[in-house]
Amino acid sequence: MSATDGSLSAYVESTIIMTTVRVVSPFVFTFGLFVMFHGAESAGGGFQGGAIVASSIIMLAFAFGIEPTREWLDDSVIRLLVGVGATTFVGIGIGALAFDGAFLEYAAYGISHGVKYGIELVELGIGAIVAGVIVSLFMNLAGGFNHDSGGDDA
Amino acid sequence: MTPLEYLVVGLVLAGVFFSFVAVVGIIRLPDLYTRAHATSKSDTLGTVLSLGGIALLFGAEVSAVKTVLLLLFMLITNPTAAHAIARAAHDQGIEPWTASDEEGD
Repeated sequence: MSATDGSLSAYVESTIIMTTVRVVSPFVFTFGLFVMFHGAESAGGGFQGGAIVASSIIMLAFAFGIEPTREWLDDSVIRLLVGVGATTFVGIGIGALAFDGAFLEYAAYGISHGVKYGIELVELGIGAIVAGVIVSLFMNLAGGFNHDSGGDDA
Repeated sequence: MTPLEYLVVGLVLAGVFFSFVAVVGIIRLPDLYTRAHATSKSDTLGTVLSLGGIALLFGAEVSAVKTVLLLLFMLITNPTAAHAIARAAHDQGIEPWTASDEEGD
């Protein structure tokens, strides 16, 4: 496998891109979390924040090479992220049913500011799903389409 | 109009001019490298000038700080993106346009 795609591994890192990404990506990541946490009270939300977080990881992949990033951020981690996000969303929603509320009725929890915390947690769950899906889509696309033998290798 | 407003209008007009130069460059120039050359510099300068004018208009407020941060972000990332595109094109073996290509097209 590694012998056939020599054109991918021939990628040489650029100092300019690496330095810029090193400076910029922490801010982008933080801004993504900021957007996620602000979903309840101002402009923002899980989807946008998740997209920004994913873009910071895709930037790392551009700067340091896609294969090193794939080794650093294993596919199972991304799957776990998506699973935890979906579980958070469904858990918050179903949990309200246990407190005699409707699905996603945050007020049923009876905590002070329960609506706000409920929305925040759901936004974080959505953000985790979106970030995970975007990163895994990018990684799969970057892997190339040379698996022309048909069956998918899970 | 106050002198500050004249300055703001001047900065924004200069920004619009350089953005226009970038658009002319991306339409008129022949290949990827020359287009990246035109857009990266002119577009960055146009954006920075416009955002500088807006930051002046906000005055001493949080919005001005946010605008300046956005300005710095554009100033760092825009040339880097152009560099990454031109570099990727060079890695893919795209030949730069030369004067001898002119009669071919």
